Amino acid sequence: MEQVIANGLYLGAQYALIALGLTLIFALMNVLNFAHGQMYVLGGFITYTVYGQLGLPFVLALLASGVTLAVIGALMEKFLFRTVIRRSHREESTMLLAAATAFFFDAVILLIFGEKQRGVPKIVKGVFNDAGIIMPYDRLAVGALAIIFIAAFVLYMQYSRVGRAMRALAQDRVAAQLMGVRVDRYSMIGFAMGAMLAGVVGGLLVTITGVNSGIGGPISIKAFLMVMIGGAGVVGGAIAGGFILGMMESVGLTVLREYGDVTYLVIFAALMVFLSVRPNGLMGKPWG
Amino acid sequence: MAEMLEVSGLTKRFGGLVAVNNVSFSVREKEILSVIGPNGAGKSTLFKLIASFLRPTTGEVRLKGERISGLAPHIAARKGVVRTFQETTIFKNMSVRDNVVIAHHLRSKASLFGFFLGTGAAKADEAAFGASADEILALLGLASLAGETARNLPHGHLRALGIAIGLATDPSILLLDEPFAGMNHDETMRMVEMVRRLRERGLTILLVEHDMPAVMKISDRLVVLNFGQKIAEGTPSEIQANEKVIEAYLGSEDEAIGL
Amino acid sequence: MTFNRNIKIAAGVAFLAIVFIAVPAAISASGRFDLYYTLTSVALLSIASAGVWLTFYIGRINIGQGAYALTGGYVSAILVMNHGWSFWLTLPVAGLFCAAASVLIGLPILRLRGVYFAMVTLVLTEVARLLALALPITNGAKGIVSIPLPGALSVFGVTLIPDFATLQNSRLAFYLLAATLMVVCFAVMYRLVNSRIGKLCQSLQQNEELASSIGVNIAYLRVIAYAVSSFFGGVSGAIFAAISQSIYPSSFTVTDSVNFMLNCFLGGLGYVFGPMLGTLVLYFGWDLLFQTGQFQLLIYSGLMIVLMLVLPNGLLSLAEMTRKKD
Repeated sequence: MEQVIANGLYLGAQYALIALGLTLIFALMNVLNFAHGQMYVLGGFITYTVYGQLGLPFVLALLASGVTLAVIGALMEKFLFRTVIRRSHREESTMLLAAATAFFFDAVILLIFGEKQRGVPKIVKGVFNDAGIIMPYDRLAVGALAIIFIAAFVLYMQYSRVGRAMRALAQDRVAAQLMGVRVDRYSMIGFAMGAMLAGVVGGLLVTITGVNSGIGGPISIKAFLMVMIGGAGVVGGAIAGGFILGMMESVGLTVLREYGDVTYLVIFAALMVFLSVRPNGLMGKPWG
Repeated sequence: MAEMLEVSGLTKRFGGLVAVNNVSFSVREKEILSVIGPNGAGKSTLFKLIASFLRPTTGEVRLKGERISGLAPHIAARKGVVRTFQETTIFKNMSVRDNVVIAHHLRSKASLFGFFLGTGAAKADEAAFGASADEILALLGLASLAGETARNLPHGHLRALGIAIGLATDPSILLLDEPFAGMNHDETMRMVEMVRRLRERGLTILLVEHDMPAVMKISDRLVVLNFGQKIAEGTPSEIQANEKVIEAYLGSEDEAIGL
Repeated sequence: MTFNRNIKIAAGVAFLAIVFIAVPAAISASGRFDLYYTLTSVALLSIASAGVWLTFYIGRINIGQGAYALTGGYVSAILVMNHGWSFWLTLPVAGLFCAAASVLIGLPILRLRGVYFAMVTLVLTEVARLLALALPITNGAKGIVSIPLPGALSVFGVTLIPDFATLQNSRLAFYLLAATLMVVCFAVMYRLVNSRIGKLCQSLQQNEELASSIGVNIAYLRVIAYAVSSFFGGVSGAIFAAISQSIYPSSFTVTDSVNFMLNCFLGGLGYVFGPMLGTLVLYFGWDLLFQTGQFQLLIYSGLMIVLMLVLPNGLLSLAEMTRKKD
């Protein structure tokens, strides 16, 4: 029982980070980043290269993942999304662009890193075995790091100048502009941060579950699920969604193991019911 | 004259906040009744309750004796309670004429499938609606703009279009949501004329408004709200002399009574 | 006015002539019979995309058409294999089954807007796949194989359509079937859009509250549109199953759902024939790029991005731009 909870928490922390990135981008730009899962994968591969192949310290690898993805995110916002948002008649065009970028990422990742599953040496060896919980130390480390990042993110958004500007932007674009917030600049920063978060989680989890080029799509779907549960565009929602999904997965995989792959079916069914009652998720801001 | 609309004991609570508190009044047939009050008095909520876009917490609204509160908005519309919208809501990308034609949908006798197939009933409807739309556009001074895309219209005409859309539904009572908002003197006078013409057609009108001079000119009777409650009801001259009303308005910072 | 109308009729006739006469003639002459499969696929995919277009028309982003294509395929396959039904009968049944399912699913989710609706539909496709894997009737990961070719269709003893197995060139037969259904599908859509229903849907799209206030039953209209959309998806999937004579849980994936959406976007969401053009371009584009080997996806998605930057309102918006220049 405690094991299930422990697993759920550790997983939830990772998922929450992923969801935070996605929800940040959505909150700022009303864009659903289809490529989020692929950004995760890219982050994982970068860490694999820096830490696994080049043998450099893990922290450096994480940094590399974060920075690279941040730069990519910024470029995407500036050159791609900004243009389309400006020129298109319909809001949904950004979704198309996002989908196209997801495919593009998939292609690039496949070309550069190939198809194989990759892993890296553990960052911390040994296993924690106490109070009915068996948890390898590296999972604990990764879980702790994730929670630290979440906390840092929340604090940053709450108290820093940049964070406040972004929150103003998320709440009311026009009002923020009138108050002198440079919308373009902060959209770019927001996108960069969202991408960075995805990349960092990829870097963290590659040490546990490894990475391969095919998991981008499924990760995106999981991210969407979290945002649906918790509500889009709200930080609390993303964190809640992440932990809830992590917990549900942990419970499902243990309890429903005999029934095969039914875990996600159950999650989906529950989600449909949940959404009928609370269409905007737990805390989401309504679209449009 | 018969009672067209009857509001009894209407109350709306949002969590702990009581937006509308036990409001009762009636609107007679072919009457123009205005609901006024300082900012935050609950006019907007009352309006939405009557138009059935909100459910009352308690109390009811009856149209010609039949209860309409709590019905879905499109059903209330079918029964004859039709509203206009504040931010001049129209179908932006359709032509002016199309906006009015489509609003006739309520009067349509053919079914959806009939429209798809183009049955005789559907065709007859289309012809009738077209003629009626032209007549309404002429009444509201929009005939020359019939082909324009709605979103290009200047402000005053957008309002007129909003009313045209409401009119097309052949309502029993037309609810006008701040029809004079943001208008200059000339536009206001034109709108006053328009509302008078609507009443001449036999329409009953309930409007919610801030603009006092216009309201005093146009209304047969007034209902005054403050803090969600009805504090006075009567003719314009009665209201202007009413002490409670004067106090309510002087107490709030930004209203002139237009005496 | 009649001048315009005559042009439209002429264009329609020309199109039909190309599809039913010119294309088969050209293929016979050139001997490139493999093109039949390509064009058949385009036709079927455009039917599914048309369904997605219809959901856009009522203001919703539908990334779940793959679920209905898969369902339609399975329904047809199961009825043919397990119950010996004639393929022709399973075709409308598959469509209706999907329509019915979509009504059940649509009732709770059509209230959702924008991104929320899109995400739910995306998840739907996955759900369909998982169901196909889990349910006993769908035979799990092994799928349903060795589905016989469509049998003869006879009405009152008169054979309207011969048994496909007896045909020398069943590819041509499938092409004609797909092309016919595509024409019917788009004719229906064209009529819908230009009738009052089209205006009602536009009113829904542009302003739901106002539509409600003029008596439009928005919930009802949405469900109907979604049901028709899913019908198209189901029929499309059923025919695909017949052509490939098999169906697997992976026959229609999230990628396919996304592609249907892309087809609509590319052609132009404001135009009825957008999905047809979009499917044609994207499918041929993808096929042509096959030559580039491992760079196929890269170039494909790269071009798509470029296209989005240059023509964010779809290909058919080019027509509008040239008209404006006059």
